Amino acid sequence: MEQTAPEALQAETAPRILVVEDDRATAETICEAVTSLGCEPVVMRDWESGLKAAELADFAVIVMDRMLPGGDGVDAIAKMRGRGSRALVLVVSALGTSGAKIEGLEKGADDYLAKPFDGDELKARLRALLRRNQMVVLDNDLMAFGDVEIRLKARTVHIGQTHVAVSPKEFELITFFARNAGETVTRMQLLENVWNLHFDPQTNVVDVHVGRLRRKLESAAGRPIIITARGEGYVFAPEA
Amino acid sequence: MQKPRGKASLRLALGLSALLIVFSLGAMALQYRATAAELDRRERSLLAADLAGLAALYDQRRIISLRQAMEFRSAAAPETGMLYLLEGKDGEKLAGNIDALPKGLTPAPGGIDATDPVAFTLTGTPYLGVARELRGGFPMLVARSRAPTEAALAATRAQIFATALVLVALSLVAGWLASRFVMRRIDRLNRLADQVAAGDLSARLPGPRADDEFGALERHIHTMLDRIGHLTRAHGRLSDTIAHELRTPLNRIQGKLDKLEGDPEAIAAVSSEIRGTVRIFDSLLEISSAEAASGGGTGLVPVSLSQITREVSELYEPLAEEKSLEYGAVIEAGCKVLGDRNLIAQLLSNLVDNAIKFCRAGDAITISLEEGPERHILSISDTGPGVPAAEREAVFERFARAERDREVAGHGLGLALVRAIATRHGAKLRVLEAEKGFSLQITWPKLPAEMG
Repeated sequence: MEQTAPEALQAETAPRILVVEDDRATAETICEAVTSLGCEPVVMRDWESGLKAAELADFAVIVMDRMLPGGDGVDAIAKMRGRGSRALVLVVSALGTSGAKIEGLEKGADDYLAKPFDGDELKARLRALLRRNQMVVLDNDLMAFGDVEIRLKARTVHIGQTHVAVSPKEFELITFFARNAGETVTRMQLLENVWNLHFDPQTNVVDVHVGRLRRKLESAAGRPIIITARGEGYVFAPEA
Repeated sequence: MQKPRGKASLRLALGLSALLIVFSLGAMALQYRATAAELDRRERSLLAADLAGLAALYDQRRIISLRQAMEFRSAAAPETGMLYLLEGKDGEKLAGNIDALPKGLTPAPGGIDATDPVAFTLTGTPYLGVARELRGGFPMLVARSRAPTEAALAATRAQIFATALVLVALSLVAGWLASRFVMRRIDRLNRLADQVAAGDLSARLPGPRADDEFGALERHIHTMLDRIGHLTRAHGRLSDTIAHELRTPLNRIQGKLDKLEGDPEAIAAVSSEIRGTVRIFDSLLEISSAEAASGGGTGLVPVSLSQITREVSELYEPLAEEKSLEYGAVIEAGCKVLGDRNLIAQLLSNLVDNAIKFCRAGDAITISLEEGPERHILSISDTGPGVPAAEREAVFERFARAERDREVAGHGLGLALVRAIATRHGAKLRVLEAEKGFSLQITWPKLPAEMG
């Protein structure tokens, strides 16, 4: 989390984020979110110039609209990848049905956010993508945060000497939290990444699952491990 | 789909030929009867002419000349096929080509004339003749063989029979050919319809249209498909436009809301209203796209219904426990369907969510999935307030809000979406009769064996 905090960043190393969005107000909202994460936004307003920009410069993340003048942003992803762009793509689109989301993900998007979106939700998604860029090793067996240890192969969680019994789903949940440690993780992100469900259930079922995991961790550690973030989500903060 | 065999066209062709066969056989039968009657008349007139000659001689010189004439005619008998016999008073043969009167033939007293001839058979040959006992006790027989006539009639009958056989064979062949011709044309159209039903609206028949009624039908179907395709595209564009034109301003509202400084609870409430609005048109769009794709297998892949059911049931389990509901799931492993995982999950989620929403502490919710003989049977039952029988069908309509919904949040699209998704997968939806609560059964078509 140090890497993404604005004050720790050097101006020349600030990751650049390409925003391809034709609606001015939405582009502005996205730029604000990008700036608040300490990144530098570059805005393009149509499909063709978005594609060209992705080719010319190196971006950490590309935020892509779908119904752009000139084409569907999702169709640009394969072209960009074909031309050597290694940027992660977050599709932000008004085509928000689960079918449209799955289509976007299948066509190469790394994440898909439907409009209208919440500013915090967008920031959480961008942070997760930026983090993924920086993560070097993911597949080692142990994830350790102070006395909180997650053993990936054995699928167990330990806090100090205590073994915390978690269900398989809770293990996936804590692993996802751990990969985004210190960052706000939204309910929608959890539903999409842990449960692989791309629709908005009427009830916030995720809350109940997080609540259970949180209680288990808290009673073992004697301190809160997962805290509710202002707005839309949770933060995994084991070393508080 | 079962391949239709050209039954209707074959029936029609065979029916028409059967009618023609009956007509021509009837005509031939009439002809045959006329011929038979004519031949019979000629037999009688020839017999009568012969007898008239003999009668003339008898009138002149009685038995003597009759005897001479008979001797003379008997000599020519093998060619003419005649029988002659004249006997004396004591039964001795005076003249003729047979030795005695055939058995069963009694000469009637009278003169020589052709009235009331009798038919009889002698050594296998049919005869028509006249037997008389002339004055003074002289029995006499004059008869004419009917063999040539019978032979001619038998030949005619054989010909009629052969003609009938040939006609039946020809009409079978013609009927088969006609039905094959019709079926080839209809098969093309059926294949096209199948392709369209499978979701390929752009399918068209190759080659030029023939200048007949089939060509006209093909042209009409093409025009119809063009029109449907146009409407579908327009509908799709409209949906996308609605999504875009509504979501973008909502997005601006949300953006401005995020920047507002104020009561966080009030802001969260507005935010949640926006989310609710989006959910309504998401559901509407999902319903129409699921309905549009219904019937076709496009976009569906083999998925494990058991696994999806287990995942959704586990997703909701803690929520049910928190509400102190009795929550149980009996899920048979290995039930596979051709489906869209996310849509099926949404269907299940809507149903379980509803059940939890309407049930009160102590109520029970049961999810079960089992493999039936023909379909996978999924049922979700609860012991909550239920739905009155009269409203059961209506709950699946869009924006339907049953009496039980009044106090619970929702937009009335949940079950409409459930039905649309079920239809998309070819699954059948049925509200079960339950003593208490709401019980829904969905039967899913199994994955075709070759895809297992």
